[in-house]
Amino acid sequence: MLELQNLYRSYRGIPAIENVSFKVAPGEIVGFLGPNGAGKSTTVKIVTGMLRPNDGRVLFEGQDIARDMVAFRAAFGYVPEEAHLYSYLSGLEYLQLVGRLRGLDESLIEVKATQLLKLLNLESWQYTPISSYSKGMRQRVLIAAALLHDPKLLIFDEPLSGLDVVSGRLFKDLLELLAAQGKAVLYISHVLEVVEQVCNRVIVIAKGRILADSPPSDLARLMSLPNLESVFAQLVQQQDTRQLAQQMVEVMRITHV
Amino acid sequence: MHDLIQKLIERLPLDFRILHRQFLLRVIDLEALSIQADVTGFLGQFAGVLIMLSIVHSVVMYVGLESIQDPDARYAFCLHMQHYLIATMILVTGLFTVISWDATFPDRRDVMVLSPLPVAPRTILFAKLSASASVLGLSILTLNCMSGLVVPFLLGMLHNSSWGFYQCLVAYWFTIVAASAFLYCSVLTIQGFTALLLPRRIFLRLSALLQLAAFGLFLGVYYLQPSLTTPAALATPQNQWLLACSPSYWFFALFNQLNGTLPSQLFWLASRAWLGLALALCGAAVSLLLCYMRTMKKTVEEPDLVPGAGSFHFVPSFGSSLHAAIALFCIRSLTRSRQHRVAFAFYLALVFAIALSWLRSELANAAPSALPSDFLMSSFMMMTFAVFGLRSVFALPISLTANWVLRTTQLRPSQVYIAATRGALLLFAVVPAWLLAGVLSLSFRPASHVADHLLILALLGWILSELCLIGFYKVPFTCSYLPGKSNIQLVFWAFFIVCLPLAVWLSSAEHDALNQPFKFAGFAIVFFGIAFGLFDYNRFHAKSAVLYFEEIPEEVITTLGLNA
Repeated sequence: MLELQNLYRSYRGIPAIENVSFKVAPGEIVGFLGPNGAGKSTTVKIVTGMLRPNDGRVLFEGQDIARDMVAFRAAFGYVPEEAHLYSYLSGLEYLQLVGRLRGLDESLIEVKATQLLKLLNLESWQYTPISSYSKGMRQRVLIAAALLHDPKLLIFDEPLSGLDVVSGRLFKDLLELLAAQGKAVLYISHVLEVVEQVCNRVIVIAKGRILADSPPSDLARLMSLPNLESVFAQLVQQQDTRQLAQQMVEVMRITHV
Repeated sequence: MHDLIQKLIERLPLDFRILHRQFLLRVIDLEALSIQADVTGFLGQFAGVLIMLSIVHSVVMYVGLESIQDPDARYAFCLHMQHYLIATMILVTGLFTVISWDATFPDRRDVMVLSPLPVAPRTILFAKLSASASVLGLSILTLNCMSGLVVPFLLGMLHNSSWGFYQCLVAYWFTIVAASAFLYCSVLTIQGFTALLLPRRIFLRLSALLQLAAFGLFLGVYYLQPSLTTPAALATPQNQWLLACSPSYWFFALFNQLNGTLPSQLFWLASRAWLGLALALCGAAVSLLLCYMRTMKKTVEEPDLVPGAGSFHFVPSFGSSLHAAIALFCIRSLTRSRQHRVAFAFYLALVFAIALSWLRSELANAAPSALPSDFLMSSFMMMTFAVFGLRSVFALPISLTANWVLRTTQLRPSQVYIAATRGALLLFAVVPAWLLAGVLSLSFRPASHVADHLLILALLGWILSELCLIGFYKVPFTCSYLPGKSNIQLVFWAFFIVCLPLAVWLSSAEHDALNQPFKFAGFAIVFFGIAFGLFDYNRFHAKSAVLYFEEIPEEVITTLGLNA
């Protein structure tokens, strides 16, 4: 359904991603992992059409998205990393805005928006301005907005950020149901346990290049490591976090220079 | 001198200085956006406009007085100018309080950010007060920089003594500062006690209404109150009630009392000024102190989240779902964002000022009269301010980080978005200005002339909307703002040099055409032709336009001049 082919993008001559290629099939949940600054956000911006690649292309159902961006936009739902919303609107008004921008029928928007807000436990606050919402509540509004038009492809960038345990569990179940219905899901997260549990495949990116692309269990087995977290640490060559923490404490304790 | 001021400033506590600058930015945060938060630059532009007004006032007064020979008439003219200058100062202070509404009181952001830091509430209070006082002081100084010298000079000439000049100088400046302080402190008192007496959530809702009410009140009083500055009018018993209720006349009396020219039977009016000033100062001091002691605590204690009340759910038909989305987005942005509300209110103030001045003259005329050329010009100006005002507010972004949703949901061609923006301009600027002009023209006859004028006015609104849409390929409130693009001075002079003469010429031409059907038909056809031509031009270019969400600054190439 979604295919990235040799994507390359640079900022002022410095490459952010190079030769990024992978596929997301219908019914598949693909985890996209990488440390900060690895190129995840650039890749997602290109996939959502907000950024154009310098080279390479993105195919959706075999068609280059650049050829018919409107059709592609109509087919995907997106939950961004940061819960940036028009904070003076209420949760319901925000969903109405998104529904109208997507050209949904007024009565359909009303039914879907109120029911999604109710299911996401936001019914009591549907008329309250988003500016007073907690981070988790904003995240739930974003999830509702992404589901409003029944998209074929879903892109979730850190969707669990700020969600409580119950909402987190609900979201994991939701992901599995969406995949069962044939939706393609691209799931970007730092919470490796969840990725390990829900994703069919994991793609690891570091310094703008894809380092691994296989099911989480295969990755751990191939690298002879106990879990995905260890695999991730090995692949991206993370620094010794214990030593780093020790250095931070030392800097904190400096009293004069 | 500069070093002395610098040394004095450096003696102030560091936290006070930092907060003062921060709050100064917030008092005027609206336009500071346009000049890279350069407060000095903004204040310079703002001061420039007020200085020009001061020069205009002085020239009018000097020329007016020179052209009058009769001593009684000269005296009456002086009285009228005194009152006009005081009333104008009160209006400017009133508009300042509207623009800087709530800026003196601690808001939730202050409480949440500053409470955990070692900053005393009194430092916050003094920093906020000094920031507001700085801008208000600048307004007083610049608006009176010329008239504050010319008025004492001219009145001193009437006194025929050099002492008269100095007495008048002191009286003038004291009165102007006192009148500003009275209004500013009165508004603070009302805001402060409302905040203390009402639950915070209700206060916040009421505050926005109070802001608009104050705005209407200041303009209404300024334009509707009759001129009672002749000795006879001041002495008439029927006018005493009006004099007793109008602060501008209190301070007019105060000026004359300090200048030694107030008749003894009007001393009571000056006493009102003293009493009003004292009450306002005390009220502001008490309410501010109580607010800083209680409101900050109340703000912390209030729950973060309260279920909102279900609102009235009627959505009028705006056409397609995209038109509805853009129209409702505009209404909600304009009504809920303080910055946008105030910016639009500034332009609406000009529209209402013109409307109110006509309303006053209509109230004075009992019988219907012929459509005057001045009214035609006034309605053209109302339409111009409404359309250009809304267009400039559309360009102010509301939340750039939230625009991703518009980018990822753009499912229709750009021309549909541009058409929706056109619809919003027509609906929220052209239609209200047209209706207002229609109501004001009810007292004019014949009705056919009124209908003809309203047709021309509607076409003008269409033309102005199309002019505003040239190159404006963006959704209202969503595009970034290019620093340094707006220049208050340039806009001010462009208005005087281009818009005003054009409106005068158009109104004169229309006035001539109203009595000649063929000429009027030609006039209307030309207007329609221009409007349709611009509409077609915009529609043609919109087909290939790409919506943009970020203003890109023009490339500036600097040549080094190395060629021999």
